[in-house]
Amino acid sequence: MSIRRLPEHLVNRIAAGEVVERPASALKELVENAIDAGAQRIAIRLAEGGLTGIEVIDDGCGMAPDEIALALERHATSKLPNDMIEMVETLGFRGEALPSIASVATLTIESRVRGADGWARTIDNGVLASEGPAALPPGTRVKVEGLFARVPARRKFLRSARSEYAACVDIVKRLAMARPEIGFTLEHDGRRALAVPPGESRAERVAALTDRALVDNSIAIDYVRGEVSLGGVAGLPTFSRGVADHQFLFVNGRPVKDRLLVGAVRAAYQDLLARDRHPVVALFVELPVAEVDVNVHPAKSEVRFRDSGLIRGMIVGGLRAALNAAGHRSAQPVASGSMGSWTREDISPQPSLGYGAPASGILRDRHLDFSAAPSARAEPAYHPVPEQARFPLGVARGQVAATYIVAEAEDGLVLVDQHAAHERLVLERMRRASAEGRVAAQTLLLPEVVELDEPGCDRLEMRAAELGELGLELERFGPKAVLVRATPALLGAGDVKGLVTDLADELAAYDDAVSLKERLEHVAATMACHGSVRAGRILSVAEMNALLREMEVTPHSGQCNHGRPTWVKLGHGDIEKLFGRR
Amino acid sequence: MKVTIERATLLKSLSHVQSVVERRNTIPILSNVLIEASTDGQFRMMATDLDLQIVDTVAAQVEIAGATTVPAHTLFDIVRKLPEGSQVSLTAAEGKMLVVAGRARFNLATLPRDDFPMIAEGELPTHFELPSETLKQIIDKTRFAISTEETRYYLNGIFLHVTDDAQPALKAAATDGHRLARVTVSRPEGAIGMPDVIVPRKCIAELRKLLDEVDGTVAVSLSASKVRFDLGTAILTSKLIDGTFPDYSRVIPTANDKLLKLDPKSFMQGVDRVSTIASEKTRAVKMSVENDKITLSVTSPENGTAAEEVSGDYSGPSFDIGFNARYLLDILGQIEGDVVEVHLADAASPTLIRENDKAPALYVLMPMRV
Repeated sequence: MSIRRLPEHLVNRIAAGEVVERPASALKELVENAIDAGAQRIAIRLAEGGLTGIEVIDDGCGMAPDEIALALERHATSKLPNDMIEMVETLGFRGEALPSIASVATLTIESRVRGADGWARTIDNGVLASEGPAALPPGTRVKVEGLFARVPARRKFLRSARSEYAACVDIVKRLAMARPEIGFTLEHDGRRALAVPPGESRAERVAALTDRALVDNSIAIDYVRGEVSLGGVAGLPTFSRGVADHQFLFVNGRPVKDRLLVGAVRAAYQDLLARDRHPVVALFVELPVAEVDVNVHPAKSEVRFRDSGLIRGMIVGGLRAALNAAGHRSAQPVASGSMGSWTREDISPQPSLGYGAPASGILRDRHLDFSAAPSARAEPAYHPVPEQARFPLGVARGQVAATYIVAEAEDGLVLVDQHAAHERLVLERMRRASAEGRVAAQTLLLPEVVELDEPGCDRLEMRAAELGELGLELERFGPKAVLVRATPALLGAGDVKGLVTDLADELAAYDDAVSLKERLEHVAATMACHGSVRAGRILSVAEMNALLREMEVTPHSGQCNHGRPTWVKLGHGDIEKLFGRR
Repeated sequence: MKVTIERATLLKSLSHVQSVVERRNTIPILSNVLIEASTDGQFRMMATDLDLQIVDTVAAQVEIAGATTVPAHTLFDIVRKLPEGSQVSLTAAEGKMLVVAGRARFNLATLPRDDFPMIAEGELPTHFELPSETLKQIIDKTRFAISTEETRYYLNGIFLHVTDDAQPALKAAATDGHRLARVTVSRPEGAIGMPDVIVPRKCIAELRKLLDEVDGTVAVSLSASKVRFDLGTAILTSKLIDGTFPDYSRVIPTANDKLLKLDPKSFMQGVDRVSTIASEKTRAVKMSVENDKITLSVTSPENGTAAEEVSGDYSGPSFDIGFNARYLLDILGQIEGDVVEVHLADAASPTLIRENDKAPALYVLMPMRV
């Protein structure tokens, strides 16, 4: 068998395997081209989830007729004017996408440079089909039809039109989020699926593409360290989701998927959310192009940072700082679902138990019914209740069910869960107190040998100093084991082996000792729970006001230790709606 | 079966066996106590949790011999509430047991006695006798150090072994990985060649309760997998923990050169007082050792600080060391004499605590890094 050089069309089809694996990846390449062409508006049309047709229309710089021909050649691009591949600033640079797509579909490019005439060129599965003048506004229109129509092997691996469409929407959303200054429209089988106007702010764009309520429930992040800047929006902990699908990372305007983001977000929200809740975040990292290598993956969905520790630190630090600044905020307003459950009671006599009820065979505990009708507690006001409701959480007016504090603020009615709120305050106080010292460590009489795989041991050894700060003293014990000399005294005589194994796994997955911190946190949270005011305890007005004032100045007091809100506000508008005044 | 027995006798016997029965069981018959009456006036009660079994034998008037099983806790509660001095009659027939005392009648559901599990003792080759006082001392001075951590199951009991030193000894040790307690007594006759065994925590707890009612000696029979304690009316049989106890002798420090002598009472009270302020979970106490003066101190970020000086006998370089207050109190609580010796090396090394070098008990405590 002799070695031969592969013909061009086969090379293109092999390349297509890497770059174009499904309609969404072809769409991604085309939209990225449109963005790189400096478009202000990008219109996308899909037919059957992109399986039969993809069309991308932009108002960018356009191409001259001879450039169109060249663009369809392999490794031809306008995006690397000099040969500095490390310094690439555009989304694309490989010069592979168009010829790859053209080799597996019918591709039509129509383009017009402003002030010149338009030109069209059609390639059918790698062969020139037609060429000629075209009439269109300045910009480029690329049409892909019958993707993989003649590559049955690939066609078989495509999923249903519906799931291909979902993948396309995801791609468009990510790109649209990265570029709030560009307008995007997406039509699927003639139906408008998505439309965002050009010139939006980042927060507006992120909210438009995820959840409209995010605008009111997020914090802007703006964090600069040296040449690296971090921007974006982070959802409040109480605005969390059950799955981690609304977490986006953009590096220099390029949407990327990175494990680093998952770990960093988890670390930042560590004690604010239950383990199975995930926050909504969209983070934009801008850094000098030389600091990041984008030429890692053909589809460019992964990047490599020169200093990934710095980026991780930025994300955790930035999120943390923003969340701290958010203080007592909590998810608002009241979910519309619970608003709907407010119903007007029909005023009619209640059927009374006892006399009228049919005598059934069931034994029932009968209470002697001499207690007074429920009435509000009247309490002498030792201190004049401050009339001016200048406080964000308002002035306490009373207590309901000995569990919830009712307060009146300037702009509405505030309900506070007294146990959840106080628990959080106690935890924050404990944390402030313990932030100074190291965690006390109990040394072991018999040091425990924990056997692990070698990379796991290496990772633990590398972070030994940091773990020591947290009270876990360990050292390397041969190639495949570590020796634990001391454990955090707070954890008692717990399962050392389990803890160390978990830690090694987590260092691999998230690059952070999350579970050790979580376990320490859990003990603190349990202590906080026992040390706080329980539901069912009657509070005086002065106590209630003190609790409200403290909540206002304590960071993270908007959610309890499990991520649920500690308070909700019923705005004046909401109250008026309940009475049909609006 | 038809038996008449005095309430007090029945109650005492039941109280011995019922604590072996777990509150919640997946196997229903384990909630029951086996009652057996024989024609020679022997009335036996037996309870088990499959690892531990107790048999208590008392005398009763037996009219008809027989056996059955009834819920242990229910029967115990009934007998407890019966009037004092009454005669209790137990009659078992047709899946029910009738309990009559005075004018009170209870008809209890039973389970067949043939289903009741017995621990097969097998051969118990080693046999020796220990004075009950000695056994009490062994348990009291070591049980506080038994680990409750299920993952290190081999620490969930008291380790018993014999040595053939110049003075043959029986040694009992317990540790939870942070502290160690060991008691040495002279080797009883018959214990030569005894296998090393770990007696589980629950067996120790039951044994200790029964010992309060025993004077004289307790007969101990054991093999590598079972142990039996014969305490007169009650016989306790337990499976042993199948594991290897760590070689604890190498963690007992022998070269701790800094000797501190103090009064255990005032030391203990001092530790107890200053630890009031420590956070409830860590309870770290710092000891600053100087010439003939020991300063105990606690700093809690939430509550403030506490310090107390305790006089003691010490000459050597001054230094600081931290301990878990609870561990320290556990150990000091076992010291009976007027002086306690604390042998220190440095702030990170194991510390040896004992009354003197003749005392049977010694304790090793790991310091805490504070």
